[in-house]
Amino acid sequence: MAVETLLSVENLGITYGQGDEALAAVQGVSFTVAKGEAFGLVGESGCGKSTLAYQLLGYRAPSARVASGRVVFRDTDILTLDRPALERLRGDRISLVPQNPTTALNPGMRVGEQLAEILVVHGRAESREAARIRVADLFDRVGLPLPGRIGRRYAHELSGGQQQRVCIAMALACEPDLVVLDEPTTGLDVTTQEQIIGLLLDLRTRLGMSMVYVTHDLGVLAQIADRVGVMYAGFMVEVAPTDELFSQPRHPYTRGLISAIPRLDGGAVSGQHLRGYLRRSEIPPSGCPFQPRCEVSEPSCATTIQTLADVGPGRSVACQRWRALPPVPPAEPLPATAAAADGAEAPLIEVVDLTLRYGPRGWFGNLLGRPGPQVVNAATLAIRRGETFALVGESGSGKSTIARAISGLLPPLSGTIRFAGEPLAASIKGRNSDLKRQIQYIFQNPDASLNPRNRVSEILARPLAMFLGLRGEAGREKLEHALREVRLESGYLRRYPDQLSGGERQRVAIARALVAEPSLLLCDEVLSALDVSVQANVLDLLRALKRDTRVAMLFISHDLAVVRGLADRVGVLFRGTLFEIGAVEEVFRPPFHPYTHELLMAVPSAHARKRRTMTRRDAEAIAGAGCAFAGRCPWQVGKICEEQAPPWRDAGGSLKIRCHLPVADLADRAIWRGGDDERTTVGVAAP
Amino acid sequence: MAVAQPPLTAPPQVLGRFWRRSPMSLKIGGLILLVHLIVAATGPFWAPYGQAQMGAGLPLSPASFAHPFGIDQLSRDVFSRVVHGGHIVIFLAVSGTLLGLVIGAVVGLLSGYVRGWVDEVLMRFVEAIISIPFIVLGLLAISAAGPQLAGEPVLVIFVVALIYAPRVARMARSAALEIVTKDFITIARLRGESAWSVMRRELLPNATSVLLVEFAVRAGYAPVLVGSLGFLGFGMRPPTPEWGLMISENRALLIASPATVLGPGLMLASLIVGLNLFTEGLARILGRTVQIASR
Amino acid sequence: MAVLRLVIGRIFVSVLTLLLVSFIIFSMVEILPGDVASRILGRDATPESLATLRERLHLNDPAPERYVRWLGNIVQGDLGNALTSSRPINEILGPRIFNTLMLSLFAFAIYIPLSLIPAAVQALNRDKTIDHVLSIVSLILVSMPEFLLATLLLILFVAMIPLFPAMSLVDDSTPFWEYLRALALPGMTLGIVMAVYAVRMLRDNLIEVLDADFIRMAELKGLSRRRVLLRHALPNAMVPTLNVTALNLAYLVGGVVIVEKVFAFPGFGSLLVDALQLRDAPLIEATVLITATVYISANMIADVGAIVLNPRLRSS
Repeated sequence: MAVETLLSVENLGITYGQGDEALAAVQGVSFTVAKGEAFGLVGESGCGKSTLAYQLLGYRAPSARVASGRVVFRDTDILTLDRPALERLRGDRISLVPQNPTTALNPGMRVGEQLAEILVVHGRAESREAARIRVADLFDRVGLPLPGRIGRRYAHELSGGQQQRVCIAMALACEPDLVVLDEPTTGLDVTTQEQIIGLLLDLRTRLGMSMVYVTHDLGVLAQIADRVGVMYAGFMVEVAPTDELFSQPRHPYTRGLISAIPRLDGGAVSGQHLRGYLRRSEIPPSGCPFQPRCEVSEPSCATTIQTLADVGPGRSVACQRWRALPPVPPAEPLPATAAAADGAEAPLIEVVDLTLRYGPRGWFGNLLGRPGPQVVNAATLAIRRGETFALVGESGSGKSTIARAISGLLPPLSGTIRFAGEPLAASIKGRNSDLKRQIQYIFQNPDASLNPRNRVSEILARPLAMFLGLRGEAGREKLEHALREVRLESGYLRRYPDQLSGGERQRVAIARALVAEPSLLLCDEVLSALDVSVQANVLDLLRALKRDTRVAMLFISHDLAVVRGLADRVGVLFRGTLFEIGAVEEVFRPPFHPYTHELLMAVPSAHARKRRTMTRRDAEAIAGAGCAFAGRCPWQVGKICEEQAPPWRDAGGSLKIRCHLPVADLADRAIWRGGDDERTTVGVAAP
Repeated sequence: MAVAQPPLTAPPQVLGRFWRRSPMSLKIGGLILLVHLIVAATGPFWAPYGQAQMGAGLPLSPASFAHPFGIDQLSRDVFSRVVHGGHIVIFLAVSGTLLGLVIGAVVGLLSGYVRGWVDEVLMRFVEAIISIPFIVLGLLAISAAGPQLAGEPVLVIFVVALIYAPRVARMARSAALEIVTKDFITIARLRGESAWSVMRRELLPNATSVLLVEFAVRAGYAPVLVGSLGFLGFGMRPPTPEWGLMISENRALLIASPATVLGPGLMLASLIVGLNLFTEGLARILGRTVQIASR
Repeated sequence: MAVLRLVIGRIFVSVLTLLLVSFIIFSMVEILPGDVASRILGRDATPESLATLRERLHLNDPAPERYVRWLGNIVQGDLGNALTSSRPINEILGPRIFNTLMLSLFAFAIYIPLSLIPAAVQALNRDKTIDHVLSIVSLILVSMPEFLLATLLLILFVAMIPLFPAMSLVDDSTPFWEYLRALALPGMTLGIVMAVYAVRMLRDNLIEVLDADFIRMAELKGLSRRRVLLRHALPNAMVPTLNVTALNLAYLVGGVVIVEKVFAFPGFGSLLVDALQLRDAPLIEATVLITATVYISANMIADVGAIVLNPRLRSS
C-alpha cells in the first residue's frame, strides 16, 4: 500500500479507574488508516472499540487515562494536544457520527442551529446568510426532505433515520479528513440502516474522506469497509482486508464471529459457534485474552502474550496458533423441515381478520386522550401443531401486537382467534388455566422478563405449581429436566438472573415456558437482544426444540436470515397489514412483494459482499384507504395504489402476495434471486 | 459447560467486606446513629436526674461540668432531660414513619398495578392530601382529633403516618409503574396470578430498595416533624422531654443560658444529620439517587 | 394547539384537586367524629354555650348542605366571619397576606444567589474538595429543622451580635427601615432552608445535563468550553431550576407557619396557627384552603412552565 497514511495508532493503551480497580479497556492497539480508506473496527459489546474511537478525537471520560501509545494524525500526536488545539481539530478535520442520534442532538436547540454553529466556530461561513445556505445544502446532501426548512425543527420532531442524517450532516460540515462513526446504524430499522449505509458509501466516493467505522455487526462492514480490525477484550486480534477476512479468517475469534452470522440462503457452517462468553475475570493476566474460549488453544497460550504479527500482505493476526486452524468448511444447507409434510392437519391456532388498536387507559385517559391508531389491520393466519410460523417486518409493523392478542393481553377490536378449533376468549381473564398453560410467551429481553429478585428455581417452580400442581420435591425432577432441555446444568437453579449471561438468561426464559408443557410458543424477537455468537447458540436450541417436541411456534423477528433458518412458513407484515404469506422457501424466492424484496435487499450480508450506491430520500408511506406501502413502494403502479386496497394473488404453491401488480410482473422485477451468492455485483437504481 | 458457583461467604466476613466497601457517608452516619441508639436505649438508666426532676440546681444556670446543657426555669437538669428524651423522639419518628410506609406502599403498589378508576380515585386523593403543606396538615389533624387525644404519643405517630402515607404512596406507585412495564409482570399476568400475588411476589421484592431508601429519607425527616409539632405546642404534652418541645420551652432563656436551647438542638440536629448521611450512603450502595429531605 | 390542550388539562386537574382538598378540609374540621362545638369549647363547656355555638355555626343542618353552602360562599369571595373576633375573615386576611408576601419576597431575594452560585460551583468542580465541602455544609443545613435554624440565627444575630430584633412585631406604623430589619431573621431562615434544598437538587440536575450525550457531542464538534456551557448546558438546565423554585414556593406556604411563629411575625402563617390554637373553625377552613390553593397553583405553574419551555413536551 503506497497510499499516504492519514492516521496511525501506535501501541495505544487506555485504563479506567485507578489502583486495584483499574480496568484496561484498550491494550497495545496499533493500526493505520490511509487517506481515503474506510477502516472497520468490530467486536462484541465491552471490547473497547468505542473507547478507542473517542480517543481518535482526543476525548476520554474523566476516569479514563492513557496508559501508553500515541494517536498520530498528520504528524501530530492528538493525545498531547491542548484544549484550543483540540477545538480546532474536532468537527473540522476529524468529526464524529454518534451511536445514538436521539441523545446526541441537543433537545432544546433547532437542528439547523446545531449544524450552523459548527460552520461558525470553525470559520466556514462569513455571514448568517452564507451559513443558512450551506446548512440547506448539507441537509440536501444527506437526503433530508425539505432541506431548506427542516432546520427549523427540533430533534424529537424527526425520525431516528432523519436524526442520524442530521448527525452525518454535522460530521460533514467542514469536509473533514477523517470521520469516526460509532455504531451509527445500531438501533435503526433494517431498511433505514440500509439507507444510511447507502448514503455513507455515496458520500465517501464523492468526497474522498477517510472513515473509521465502529460496529458489532460484521455484515455492515462487509459493505462499507476496505479493511477490518477485530477487537477482543481490549486487544486487536486481527487486521485484514475485508474480502480476505471473510474468505479466510485467521484468528479463531474472527472465525467464530463470522460463522455465527445467520445466512440468508439458510445454510450454516457447522460446529464453529463460539463457546461461552467474554468474562473479563477469566482472562489470563499474561496470556491470550481469548484463550478461555478458544477451541485450538494450547497450554502456552495462557502464559504468552499474543502480539499482532504479519501473516501476509496487509494482514496481521495476534495468535500463535493461526496456522493450526482447520480450513473453513463449506456451508451446508439446512435439512428440509419435517413438519411441513403433514399439511392436511387442522390448524392449532387460527387468526381470522384480526384488527387491533391500542387505546388510552382509564376514564381519565379517555377524557384527555385520543384513541390510538389501528396497529393491525385484518390479519389472517394459521399455525399447525409442530409448525413454526414466522412474522417478519420492521419495528412498529404490529408483529408483537398480534402475539399479544393471541396471548390475551390485548383484546381485539374485531376478528376472531381460534385455538384447537374453539374460539379463544379475548382476554386472559376469560381463559381457563389449561389454556393459559398451553399458550406460552417468550419475550425479547430476558433482562426484563426474569424477576431479578427470584432464583432460577423460583422462576421455574411458579408455573409448575400453578399449571401442574407440582410443588417441592415432586417438581424438582421437572425443573432439572427443563434446565437440561435448554442445556443448562442443575447448578443454575440456585442462581439469580444477574449471575447469568444474556444467553443463559434467555435459556431460562425458554425453560420457564417449557415447564408448562405448552402447545404454542409465542417467541417475540427472542434473539435480537443477544450478541451474535450467543444468538447462534439459542437458535440451535430452538431448532432442537422444534425437532424433538411437537410445539408450534409463532416466531417474531425482524431478521430475515434467522427466519430463513428456522421457520416453516412466513408472513410479511408492514404497518399492520400482511402482504405476503407462504412456505419459507417460497417466500425467499421470486416473485416477491415489493416490501419483502426491499427487506431482502436491505439485509447486510457477510457471506455475499456487495457494493452499491444508493441515496434515497427518506420516503414515507402515505396513510389512506389504499395500499399501506404506497408512497414508499419502488414499484408503485400509479394512483390505484393510493386509492384501493390491493388484492391477494396466488403466486404458486402456498404462496400468496397482496399487490396490485400481477404475479408475473413481480417475478420479473425482482433483482434478488434467492441465494446469498447470487447477489454479489448488483446495482440498484434509485426510484 | 463449566459452571462457576458464587463463593459462599460466612456472615462475619460479609459484614467486614461490606463495611470496607461502604461509602464514607454510610460509615459516619452509622456511627452517629449508633451513639444515638445507645443513648436512647441506656440513657434513662444512667442520666444524673429524672426526666422531670426539679431541684437540680439554680434555675437558669449556664452550662457547667455538672450540668453540660445548663438548668432550665423549673430548675431541671437539661442534659438529663435530653438523654431521657432520646428514646421518645426516636420511637415516635420510627413508628410513625413505619406506619406511613406500610400504608403508603400497599396503596401505591396496588394502585400502580391495578390502574383503572381505582388508581384514578386513590391518586386524586393522594394528590389532594399532599397539596396541604405537611405541617399544616399535621396541625389540622391534631386539632381535628380534639382535646382528648392531644399530647398522646399515639396521635403524634398517627399524624406522622398521615403526612407520610400519601407521599410514600405516590412514590411507590411510580416505582410500581416502572416495574409493571417489565415483561416478568406480563408473564405473571399471563399465568393468571391475582393482583395480591403479583404485588407480593413480583412488585414488592423489586421495590424493596426503593422503599428502603424512602423509609430512610422519611425517618430522617420525622424527628423534624415531631419536633416542629412539639415546638408549636401541638405535639407531646409538657413535661415530656421531647426535644422540640424543650427548645420551645427554653427559648425564652436564650440570652441567659443558650446551652438549654443548644443542647436539645444539637442532639436533634446530629440525629438528623446521622440519619441523612446514612441514607445517602445506603442509596449509593443500592444504586439510587435520593433527594434528602424530600418535602 | 397541543400546548393549549396540555395546559388546559393541567388546569382542570388542579381545579379538581382543589375541590377535593376543600372537601377534605371541611371534613376534618366539621364532619369528623365528635362534636365541633365541644371540640371548640373544650371539656368544660356548658350545655347552653354549646347550643349557642351550634346555632351560630348552623351545626344542626346536615353536613352536605353546610359543605355546599360554605363552598358556594367561597366561590363568591365570601370567607365568612371569624368566630373569636367576629370580624369578616376577608378583612383579617388583608394585612396578614401582605406581610407574608413581603417576607416571601425577602426570602426569595436571599434564596436565588444562595442556591444558584453554590450549585454551579459544585457541578463545575465535581468531586473536588470544594464540592465535598459544600456537600457537607448543605447536608448539615438541610438536616436543620426550621425552628432550630431560626433559633440558632437568633443566638447569632440577637444574643451574640445584636443586629436584628428578636421579635418581628410589625404593624401599619412601623417605618420602612424597621420593617426591613424585622424581616431579616425570618427571611434569612426561609431563604437558607429553601436554598440548601435547591442546591442539592440543582447540583445533581446540572451534572446530569453536563453528562448528557449532546454535551459530549458539542465538545466533539469543536466548540469552546464557554460555548458548550452557555449555549448547550445552561438552557437545558433551566427547566429543572424552575421546577425546584416552584417546589420551594410550594414549600414556603408551609415554612412560613413555623418561622413566623418563631419570630412572632404577624403574617398569614401565624394567623393559621392562632386559628388552630383558638379552634376558630371558619378561620381554620379559610386559611388552610388558601394554603392549599397557593401550593397547587405553584405546582401548576411549574408544570405549565415546563410545558412551555420544553420543546419536547410542547409538541407531543
